[in-house]
Amino acid sequence: MSHREILENLARVIIEGDQQSAREHAQSALDNGLDPLEAVDNGLSKGMAVVGSQFENGDVFLPELLMAADTFNAAMEILNPVIEVNQQKTSKLGTVLLATVKGDQHNIGKNIVATVLETNGFEVVDIGIDQSTLKIIEAAQQHNVDVIGLSSVMTTTMPYQKEVIDTLTEMGLRENYFVLVGGGPVSQRWADEIGADGYGETAMDAVGIAKRLIEQKQ
Amino acid sequence: MPTLLDFIERANNGPILTEKDFNMKFLIPNVRDIVKAYEITLDRENPISGDDAMADRLYQAAVELLVRTGIYCQDTNRVIQLDRREILSSVEEFRAGQARFGEGRDRRAFLARKPEDKILPWLHVGTGIVASSKEIAMAQVEGYGSIPEASSVSVPAFSHIRGMPVTGGSPLEIYAAIDCVQTARRALSRCGRPGLPIMNLLSASTTAMGTIAASYRAFGLRPSDGWLIDVLAEMKVNYETLNRLAFVQITGGNIGSTAVPILGGYAGGAPGTALVKTAYYLVGLHMFQGTYHLTLPIHFNSGCNSMREALWVFAATGRAASRNTRYPAIALGFAAAGPCTKMYFYEAAATILSQVPSGYAGIQTPHPAKAVIDDAVTPMEAKFTVEFTRAVTGIKAHEANELANRLLEKYEDDIANAPRGNKYQECYDLVTRKPAGAYLRLYDEVVKEMTRLGISFK
Repeated sequence: MSHREILENLARVIIEGDQQSAREHAQSALDNGLDPLEAVDNGLSKGMAVVGSQFENGDVFLPELLMAADTFNAAMEILNPVIEVNQQKTSKLGTVLLATVKGDQHNIGKNIVATVLETNGFEVVDIGIDQSTLKIIEAAQQHNVDVIGLSSVMTTTMPYQKEVIDTLTEMGLRENYFVLVGGGPVSQRWADEIGADGYGETAMDAVGIAKRLIEQKQ
Repeated sequence: MPTLLDFIERANNGPILTEKDFNMKFLIPNVRDIVKAYEITLDRENPISGDDAMADRLYQAAVELLVRTGIYCQDTNRVIQLDRREILSSVEEFRAGQARFGEGRDRRAFLARKPEDKILPWLHVGTGIVASSKEIAMAQVEGYGSIPEASSVSVPAFSHIRGMPVTGGSPLEIYAAIDCVQTARRALSRCGRPGLPIMNLLSASTTAMGTIAASYRAFGLRPSDGWLIDVLAEMKVNYETLNRLAFVQITGGNIGSTAVPILGGYAGGAPGTALVKTAYYLVGLHMFQGTYHLTLPIHFNSGCNSMREALWVFAATGRAASRNTRYPAIALGFAAAGPCTKMYFYEAAATILSQVPSGYAGIQTPHPAKAVIDDAVTPMEAKFTVEFTRAVTGIKAHEANELANRLLEKYEDDIANAPRGNKYQECYDLVTRKPAGAYLRLYDEVVKEMTRLGISFK
């Protein structure tokens, strides 16, 4: 099998969400001497980009996106050990910490953003729902993230987005992170008012803003 | 029928698994398999379905989904398993009209309807999700109560107390929840409708703590009001849910099971969303032991439900549930456009058309501007809901479908860039509490336009 065929197969299995085939094609890539990083960048990631684009256009929904992400991870289980032995590094755009703020139990929007960020080359640290300000900041420090993404789906929890930004400032850490906010009642006006670095109305907005901010930083 | 304590026991002892595994190994594959097996298909060209056979398949599919999947409890990481015989027995035992709301002249039975029923739906006016300042809330609720046909009201949440933003779980939530209830009751008394039931308790409350605090009778709530308690999207509950359920059940209030499935979320597209939305009626009736249900899909990206896929979800699920249960449900539209815009009325009309002939027992004022702009709702939208619902009661699904398609032509391409409209104070006189001339003129134009489409306003 040619390298080109292997790369096409890797992209295809991501689009189909076929984890078993993903493992097999990842093994085939290694057996045929394909550089594992090339398998990631020109195979798996291309498949993820297709699924991301289909999601953006409304052609597929969250289940397909999640299955593509799981399939990507299944293939990485085969490729990662070799990447580590070779001391290579996958080309992540940056690391994003995601959390739904304190008092808010909603997770679907945040989960969609997490998956779309992953499909677009970001490393995502998702610490879940109902997270206190200090836990969010502690996790951001622990994982050395570039961006903190804060979700809030209720007007009564939006003030906690402001609290995170204010506390980062108080602790002298504000310059270390970009802070993005999102969620049903959140708006650009609110983001401006609380001093966030960006607001995403949709998951794809979040990707675009995160990319732009990280490029600016570099 | 199992009691709430039986379900709590199942939440403590059911199969344990992570939420991710519940989603990926049970929920998503079960929804996919069942949608396929029961042939639940979206017809984009005909969003208001009158297909009784598919409606009955959708209902059977919803029972199957619940039996195969159960409900996940996020706090115990266990699955509350549901039994087919128990579910069907609860449906059988539920007696229509057992839910009575309000007091005095405004006390009424909330009755189930059937598809294409000629009975006027329960008219639930106002919005609960839109936050308002206290002064505006008072004016809004007085306006809602002044609509003679209103059967019940939703009252707004407060975003600030003494200038401090209200945060969920904090003492300010308790102040806000109590203030909200007292303000709403006072406003209803001022407009001569003290007995009108409030059926969105408690929009100001993020946690069970706020709900419980504001339900203390001295603050004005009565068991004849309605408490909304959510199934979490998708197929999940947590202790906040169960705490609210326990409190309202023990104190004898009306439980309004509430379900907001995400169109494009874990259940996938419109067929999967219709499946979980139908299943939530049964969760409400059987597990929550509710007396009424509040239901709406929300599109994952657009944040509203006026697009054709959502209209189809409304129509298919309303028909499925109303043909097979007597559980009265209120349907709630979410418009992308805000108050004082023509687009809002087109969207509101289309969502109501998807609801009235599909057998929903109650119609709530479609929320303007996706319910995300503070103060951006007025009694004019409630008035339209009442007048339009009266005009289309008794309409056949195929007639509603034709009208909805004509309305969709006017707005569906603009959903992503919908006009945000005006806040209450921008289109109402704060002193007289009457709509501004410009809004009245726009309303008249809309009514004339819809009359030309064939709607007979009474």
